Amino acid sequence: MTALSRMPWIWSFLAAGIVWVITLMFTGGASIVGLTQATLTFAAFSVIVGTGQMFVITLGPGNIDLSIPATMTLAGTVALKLMGGDSGLIVPGFLVAIAIGLGVGVANYALIKLLRIPPIIATLAMSFIIQSAAIWSNRGLRIRPPEILGDFAIGSVLGVPNVAILALVVTVLAYVALEKSLYGRWILAIGQNIRAARMAGIPVDGVRCGTYVLCAVLASLGGYFLASFSGGAALNMGAEYLLMSIAVVVIGGTSVAGGDSNVPGIWGASLFMFLVVSMLNTYGFDAGFRMIMTGLIIIGVIVTAGGRTVRF
Amino acid sequence: MKFTQMLLASAAIAAAAIPTATFAQTEDARIALSNNYAGNSWRQAMLTSWETVTAPAVDEGIVAAADAFTTAENQATEQAAQIQNLILQGYDAIVVNAASPTALNGAVREACDAGVTVVSFDGVVTEPCAWRIAVDFQQMGRDQVAYLAQRLPDGGNLLEIRGLAGVFVDDEIHAGITAGVEANSQFDVVGSVNGDWAQDVAQRAVAGLLPSLPEIDGVVTQGGDGYGAAQAIEAAGRDIPIIIMGNRQDEMAWWRDQRDANGYETISLSIAPGVSTLAFWVAQQILAGEEVPQDLVVPFLTVTQDTLDEALETTPEGGVANVEYSLEDAQAVIAAAQ
Repeated sequence: MTALSRMPWIWSFLAAGIVWVITLMFTGGASIVGLTQATLTFAAFSVIVGTGQMFVITLGPGNIDLSIPATMTLAGTVALKLMGGDSGLIVPGFLVAIAIGLGVGVANYALIKLLRIPPIIATLAMSFIIQSAAIWSNRGLRIRPPEILGDFAIGSVLGVPNVAILALVVTVLAYVALEKSLYGRWILAIGQNIRAARMAGIPVDGVRCGTYVLCAVLASLGGYFLASFSGGAALNMGAEYLLMSIAVVVIGGTSVAGGDSNVPGIWGASLFMFLVVSMLNTYGFDAGFRMIMTGLIIIGVIVTAGGRTVRF
Repeated sequence: MKFTQMLLASAAIAAAAIPTATFAQTEDARIALSNNYAGNSWRQAMLTSWETVTAPAVDEGIVAAADAFTTAENQATEQAAQIQNLILQGYDAIVVNAASPTALNGAVREACDAGVTVVSFDGVVTEPCAWRIAVDFQQMGRDQVAYLAQRLPDGGNLLEIRGLAGVFVDDEIHAGITAGVEANSQFDVVGSVNGDWAQDVAQRAVAGLLPSLPEIDGVVTQGGDGYGAAQAIEAAGRDIPIIIMGNRQDEMAWWRDQRDANGYETISLSIAPGVSTLAFWVAQQILAGEEVPQDLVVPFLTVTQDTLDEALETTPEGGVANVEYSLEDAQAVIAAAQ
């Protein structure tokens, strides 16, 4: 049990595995390749934006970024508009998306720090501004991605979707940053006790600002590839990822109170979130029942995984 | 002889005076658009159409103002508050695309009591004092199955993509599809997902369900979701079934590419965003004192194999096939309802 309590991410993988098997049972296993590929593909987007949200939540109580969906939308629309389907502009488009992330992150933290607005309000207000900017920039017109980029986003290597490989790279970097670097130690310290961290000489403002920027950059990265994957940006393309980004963090075993994060759990939770919906769709339940079941299953997983909080 | 001439002349003057008379009575009138959501291409086209048609109407002095207001959060409570503000600001008519058919009834009643004309469209309200410009969404569902029955006389397996759960429009189209499938028992709905009228949500949901489904012969949709379904089915390496489209440019462009490549045939139907302009003219007519029935029906816009190229030419990239209505169109719709 002590071994398990050090690996709270195991529960989300276990839950994902169970749901995966139940879904496969419907076809007697015939759907194994199709379902697994679809799951890896769509989980990848949740992983990319969920990782950013995890860093922010790790900063401690009250820290959350609600501007993720709007940032994804703005990065996707502006980058695709700039590229205009021209393969030669893939790199500039990518850089513009990243620049949008940098700008949003800095603006978010400026609101939080300079105007002393709580993060939940600051990032919500910011999301209205960003969403309006996305509407204003091209009135919701869908422009196709350059062919090379579109092919990359839907393609796969040896059966593994490219976007899943990309998400895995993000995960590995996040793991190294969190577990092996000074920055990781700093955000854990801030999340556990911000005053103690300040007294210990940690550059608290710099670290917090950097974390909001990191989250926004990952959101814009997710938006850039999601728009390329789905054949163009749409004004409501990020909407799914507001609650999703928070859910995968919590189900993945990261403490909502901050100071205790969990990188592998994001993968388990992202796979699980996609598979639950697929399972309930496969068995043909209607929408109302599906939502109730999704809610109950999430509560079930969190309660099971939450055994570790006993140590407090 | 002279008398008849005079009679004819005065009749001609009277006839010529009619349109100006209907304008003259509304030249001081201010009309507001209360809109609950702007976050997709359909709503953007709806707002653009409103602007395109009402701006000249204001310049020509037909009405004094035609301002559009959109709430930020797509909440009925927020829209109710917005309508109350519009009453206080003294608008003569409020044109509403409602977040809920019933939750705004209190605010709409207040508007009527204050002497404000309320015209609802697309998302209509049930409050009896308001006018309703509705689409027969059930018919939209039945027509889809009827088209498939004609293309696939032997029937087959259908995948149904629904809209946003709990919204009136989703229930109506679904009821029409269910009725259509009951009438054509050679069809089976083997799977159903909620695509929320959004391309990426539909793609995600279909991709998750598809591996568990048998061969699919037709996909019935609600608009905005057809391209997402096509992409998910293509990605899974399956044969492309007949996917009913919903007039979005990306759906029609994909359809054209498929047609050019392998003779793909389907049909596309949806409500035209320009229905907001019809609501504007109906409100203007009511303010001008015309007798207008409370319930009006607007036909949905259908794009067929023959009209595909034409529809694509007039639809902006990433937009929605659209028609904007004139005063004459509105008068024709009113006359048809009487």
